[in-house]
Amino acid sequence: MIRSALAVMFLPTALMANELTVENPMVPLAPPGAMAHAAYFSITNAGEGPRQLIGVSAEGYMMAHIHRTEVKDDIVSMVSVDLLEISPGQTVAFEQGGLHIMLMRPMGPLEEGKTVDLTLEFADGEKLPVSAKIMPKAGGT
Amino acid sequence: MRHIIALLIACIATPVVAQVQGVKLDTPVELPEFAFANELGEDFTDADLDGNWTIVMFGFLSCPDVCPFTLGNLEAAVAETGMRVRPDNVPKVTFISVDPDRDAEVISEYAKFFHPEFESFTGDRDQINTLIEATDSFYRILDPDHTGYYEVQHSSSVSVIAPDGTLRAKLQPPFDPGMTAEFLARLQIEYRRELSQ
Repeated sequence: MIRSALAVMFLPTALMANELTVENPMVPLAPPGAMAHAAYFSITNAGEGPRQLIGVSAEGYMMAHIHRTEVKDDIVSMVSVDLLEISPGQTVAFEQGGLHIMLMRPMGPLEEGKTVDLTLEFADGEKLPVSAKIMPKAGGT
Repeated sequence: MRHIIALLIACIATPVVAQVQGVKLDTPVELPEFAFANELGEDFTDADLDGNWTIVMFGFLSCPDVCPFTLGNLEAAVAETGMRVRPDNVPKVTFISVDPDRDAEVISEYAKFFHPEFESFTGDRDQINTLIEATDSFYRILDPDHTGYYEVQHSSSVSVIAPDGTLRAKLQPPFDPGMTAEFLARLQIEYRRELSQ
């Protein structure tokens, strides 16, 4: 009885979590001395309603933000993203040169093969854990 | 008639290449004297431009996305260039931080991370401004937020400097390795042709 009550209580959360899937979460190994680096992934909303990503936290960092790199007239700027709407059926890619999770002030050194634990926060209160693997350096090779 | 066709082909072909990976300057630009350094006591001055091709990129170390991405892509592009030009014509890549306040103590390690021969430096504000202006580049340090953190805007393109110390071209994102290498190899052929005339 208790078990089924618990199951009912947790059911909505579990269902909601299944609607959002994160693929290829990764953190390129950052250069020594870098005070900030980035995490990337793609997120798909398989649910029927729109979802709003409103924040992120990262274990082992002072701060984490959702950012977008914008290049306009040869000038690179970073724009803070307060709310990212993901429509039903939509996949949003966080990728180099575009949307990214900015990880600020790492508290310890990064090691290839280990992970960075992120928590994505949504407007409806859902918190989606994402484990991003630390990969070799960014860029072409 | 043949000339007209050639001209037409040039008009059609050139802008595509130019828009994507690089722009060759119509007239080479002489660069002023400058001096940068890193915490190891190594320096980078206008004298270092003599006799080799140099790619200069401006950025900053708290740049999470585009600076590592650009240096990673330049590493691949320079490796590709190495397959097309003589070893002594492979460009040297130099990263200049426009954020000396935060970066001066650790600057030497940054570019090396992407390739052991890449170098990184920073310097006094007037030196940064001198080279930024001379290469028609841009940066702006934005106002700090309540935590004291500040963003830096900067040029996305990088400067290509010839062995005679003049600015010859700009490379633009996305720095596709093959196309960037093709652009650089062609630039070098044109440079040698100009010198021999």
